[in-house]
Amino acid sequence: MDLKATALLKLIYLEMFGHDMSWASFHVLEVMSCPKYPQKRVGYLAAVQSFRPDTEVLMLATNLLKKDISSPLPPTMSLPLITLPHIITSSLALSLLSDLLPRLSHSNPNIRKKTVAALYRLALVYPDTLRAAWPKIKDILMDEEEDSSVTAAVVNIVCELGWRRPRDFLALAPRLFDLLVDSGNNWMAIKIIKLFATLTPLEPRLIKKLLPPLTNLIRTTPAMSLLYECINGVIQGGILEGTEGAREGEEIASLCVGKLRGMIVVEGDPNLKYVALLAFNRIVASHPHLVSMHQDVIMGCIDDPDISIRLQALDLSAGMVNSDNLVTVVERIMQQLRNAPLSTKTADDGRRNTLGVEPAADSDGEDAEETLRPTAELQDDSPALPAEYRVTIIRQILEMCSNDTYANVVDFEWYIDTLVQLVKLVPFAIQSSSEFQGGDGRNQSQEANVGSAIGWELRNVAVRVSTIRSEAVRAANSLLAISKSDNSVLSSGGQGVLAFAAWVVGEYSDSSALSYAAMDSLIHPKAHSLPALVICAYLQAIPKALVSAVSHELSDWSSERKTMVSLLVARIIHFLEPLTTHPNLEVQERSVEFLELMRVTSQAITSHSVENDDGPLLLTRAIPQLFTGFELNPVAPAAQRKVPLPDNLDLDAPINKDLAGLLQRADQDFSLDTEAAEFESFYNQRPTQKAISSPAFDKLPAFEPEPEPSSYQQTEFSLSDADVLLRRRNERRERNKDDPFYIGNDDVSSGTSTPFHDILRSTNGEDVDVDSIPIMNLDLGDQGLVTDSSSMDMRKQKRKRPRKVHIAKDENIDNEDSGMDQNVGVTNPQQRAKDRAKKSLLQVDSSGLSSFSLNSSETTVGQLDIERQEAQDTEMAKALAEVERLRLEMQRASERIQATDGTPAEGTLVKKKKKKKLKDPVGESMAQDEETSHIEPQQGPQDAEGTPVVKKKKKKRKPAISNPEDEKAIQGN
Amino acid sequence: MINAVLVFNNSGQPRLTKFYTQLDTSMQQRLISEIFTLVSHRPASACNFLPLPPLLASTTPAPTPNQPHNDTPSLITYRHYATLYFILISTSTESPLALLDLIQVFVESLDRLFENVCELDLIFNFETLHAALGEMLVGGVVVETSLEKVVSGVRGQGKVAKRRETPGIGVGVEGLGAIGRGWR
Repeated sequence: MDLKATALLKLIYLEMFGHDMSWASFHVLEVMSCPKYPQKRVGYLAAVQSFRPDTEVLMLATNLLKKDISSPLPPTMSLPLITLPHIITSSLALSLLSDLLPRLSHSNPNIRKKTVAALYRLALVYPDTLRAAWPKIKDILMDEEEDSSVTAAVVNIVCELGWRRPRDFLALAPRLFDLLVDSGNNWMAIKIIKLFATLTPLEPRLIKKLLPPLTNLIRTTPAMSLLYECINGVIQGGILEGTEGAREGEEIASLCVGKLRGMIVVEGDPNLKYVALLAFNRIVASHPHLVSMHQDVIMGCIDDPDISIRLQALDLSAGMVNSDNLVTVVERIMQQLRNAPLSTKTADDGRRNTLGVEPAADSDGEDAEETLRPTAELQDDSPALPAEYRVTIIRQILEMCSNDTYANVVDFEWYIDTLVQLVKLVPFAIQSSSEFQGGDGRNQSQEANVGSAIGWELRNVAVRVSTIRSEAVRAANSLLAISKSDNSVLSSGGQGVLAFAAWVVGEYSDSSALSYAAMDSLIHPKAHSLPALVICAYLQAIPKALVSAVSHELSDWSSERKTMVSLLVARIIHFLEPLTTHPNLEVQERSVEFLELMRVTSQAITSHSVENDDGPLLLTRAIPQLFTGFELNPVAPAAQRKVPLPDNLDLDAPINKDLAGLLQRADQDFSLDTEAAEFESFYNQRPTQKAISSPAFDKLPAFEPEPEPSSYQQTEFSLSDADVLLRRRNERRERNKDDPFYIGNDDVSSGTSTPFHDILRSTNGEDVDVDSIPIMNLDLGDQGLVTDSSSMDMRKQKRKRPRKVHIAKDENIDNEDSGMDQNVGVTNPQQRAKDRAKKSLLQVDSSGLSSFSLNSSETTVGQLDIERQEAQDTEMAKALAEVERLRLEMQRASERIQATDGTPAEGTLVKKKKKKKLKDPVGESMAQDEETSHIEPQQGPQDAEGTPVVKKKKKKRKPAISNPEDEKAIQGN
Repeated sequence: MINAVLVFNNSGQPRLTKFYTQLDTSMQQRLISEIFTLVSHRPASACNFLPLPPLLASTTPAPTPNQPHNDTPSLITYRHYATLYFILISTSTESPLALLDLIQVFVESLDRLFENVCELDLIFNFETLHAALGEMLVGGVVVETSLEKVVSGVRGQGKVAKRRETPGIGVGVEGLGAIGRGWR
């Protein structure tokens, strides 16, 4: 038996290194039942370390545990006490409770305190424990003669229980208060203060009582941990709020803040700095002015070599900004960002060779090359932490500034300048271009995409603040110019901003000089190598920029001007042509569209005589009308839902009943690519309004040989039949152009028919106009939802005009149809709430627990029985959540095992059973999983019988490696 | 409460693992390695609090004002003594600075028990290590913080084996307990 114990000890050691020892559980039991203490101890240790919820032999151990708990020897007695918390199940708790309770009054304080702690863990799985044990535990707490360490242990578990049901412990407050004042035990004092912090919100009178001793402690205690917890308790207990206005309130607030400052400045200990910043972070929500008084210290922490301290300080600075100190704070952080190569070096010194030292990391923000190159090198051989940190900084800056619809930003020119500089500071390789290829922007991970976050801000400012628009356009222009001159500057990381910059330039450029410059950057050949999403934005911006470049000087259409414009158009055509074979369908499709438009334009220009005062009608009237119309305004995310559903729209109706035949034909006639492009063009090109009011199958005739049947449909839409026909033909031609089999004829026909078509369209005026705008509009809404829907919500709520700048608010459909609107409005919050609930459910499984216990503690009535009942419920919910969480973790673990080391079938079988077993306690309490709990008992013994065969062999092998050297060799592997 | 106590050396080999919830062995190993990667990249001057490793971070809900605490581990405290890292994973009900002291007490008591404790002591007598921990923590609840009581508690369980004198392999953590200062 001695040998067995030694072998088991070694097995425990190996288990620590990740070797499974579940097969030995029966042997563990054997050693546990040894009469000799040292061996027994090994057995219990093995049980602690190796027993899992699925260990079946546990039910054989009940009697052994009972016996040992009532052993006459204190050491033997404490073995089951410290082991029980690890292996406890609700059934085991039920049978052992009666044996444990007498131990609470054991003569040895050591046993008493361990029993208290064990009972707490019992209560977690079997709430009824508390009903029986609480009176005794309470007696121990109240007993002033009790051994101090036992009292401390009781306080500890009361603190653990306290936050779940604070109300139940209000009655203990006087005794706890005495302990806090008199005991002199700092450990206990910390716990009591923590407990009081959860009690004070329920009993405001406690604040008055607590204030003097806490102030006293803060003033006098030499122990930093106690000081910190006092301050923390003052903050978390709402004492600052509770004493608002009173003289003592001010006093304690400034005292706390002063002490915290002292912790940061005087001590110079990183731990104190960290916790002090944590405490500041909690204060800042309620007392930003107090914190911003200590701006200097906090800003000092931002430059701390320790990343975690920095992040805390950064959070803090985001919390304390107001319109006065925003600029200084942001400038300070930016400064750090610019000098980053140096400071990140100091952060993990010595771990890298001096490859990235030579950078001239002066504060020259203009020259992006200088500051960016070194970081790229740094990231090659250092972990990704610095890059992540940079991203965090940039995000914080953006959040600081855009908070509350730019409530803090006074100087928007400064803000735009900051944005431009930020773009240059975006770290490399944060996102791969493959994320861009993904297409519609929805699948870009938000974390990775700082570049687009900056771009989003830029566009947001341009849209919302009309007075600053020209400035924003200039900034966007300069960004585009940079990307043109040196592609590497904005490689990957910063490229996200380009799409937005292009949009701003296209939409808002109103002076022709700027537009020419923008054109230059937009149609620069280097743009071909940009990610597809950016090219899409470019393509959309090109005609807009062209329009604004041309249309501002309509009056003199000279021959000189004619050549200039035609040259420009020719360049655009030259730019677009290679893109028609771009691998990305979206790019391909858009470029084909605009290429056709440009070709028509160029023909119109050449055929237009110089004598006319005006330019060609197509250029001066038709194309501009494609892009001008309603002012684009930010739209609230919820507004889309309020658009009434048209009566005649049936989303469930099949678009085409003969889908199978259609697909078959498509296989024969077209390549897959063109098929997809077809759909793409259909959804993107069609005006949204029409898509709503007309069933989508009016598209179908394009496949059929004759276009006739659908024209009846079309007459509804105030479009002449000829127009419809022309458009239909046009579309078919465009579609065919993508098709390799139709290359031949499109050039000829497009030249002749489209001008007519376009002029017709232009005469239709408003209708056409609306056609083109929604494409951009949709884009805006989409991006908004993706990047920052919550802040959009905030913006919507806040309707405030800071200073002279007018910041446009999100538009919502309110006036359209009030009755309908209200109906939708009622359902809206519900829907949103549902969405949110779903989200949090997916995120965290224990969130159910927190909300549950919260409810129950609120509804608690003073009566003891009800309290107990609810206590049980809470504990049960907790246990359930715990079990669920564990089950998920197990599942993940078992998946991992299967994936990695390909355990034999035996191993996976165990895993499967584990899952079932885990549900077992749930099944008992909830009576839901009857089948699993029935199966268990039969399986258990079988397994126990089955395993020894394997074990004997293994055990024989064990002694062979019994001397320490061998063991070390194994462990070294 | 405290969710886990880990001790591993500078190369990430575990010397003591104690989880106060039953966890799968492979999951334990994953957690250890994740924490080790976090810890080993920190310079000595950094503070002793770790960000949550990915394994834990994914399941942590943010504390709400109504509910300041919850059951998910949210705090990782560590201390580095010579060749060993001591890690505590705990929920928000524990005080961070007090946990640092707890590690200190643990190490000091080991130092008393072994008289100049070193890593080898922990390898050959890891049962004593568990016993000392068992005196301080039961089921994740701190039951004893006094150095004397912990030491006498462990001694009461039986003789603590002394290290065999093997000069040369002493990775020597001379005066391990003398390092650091307490906040008590």
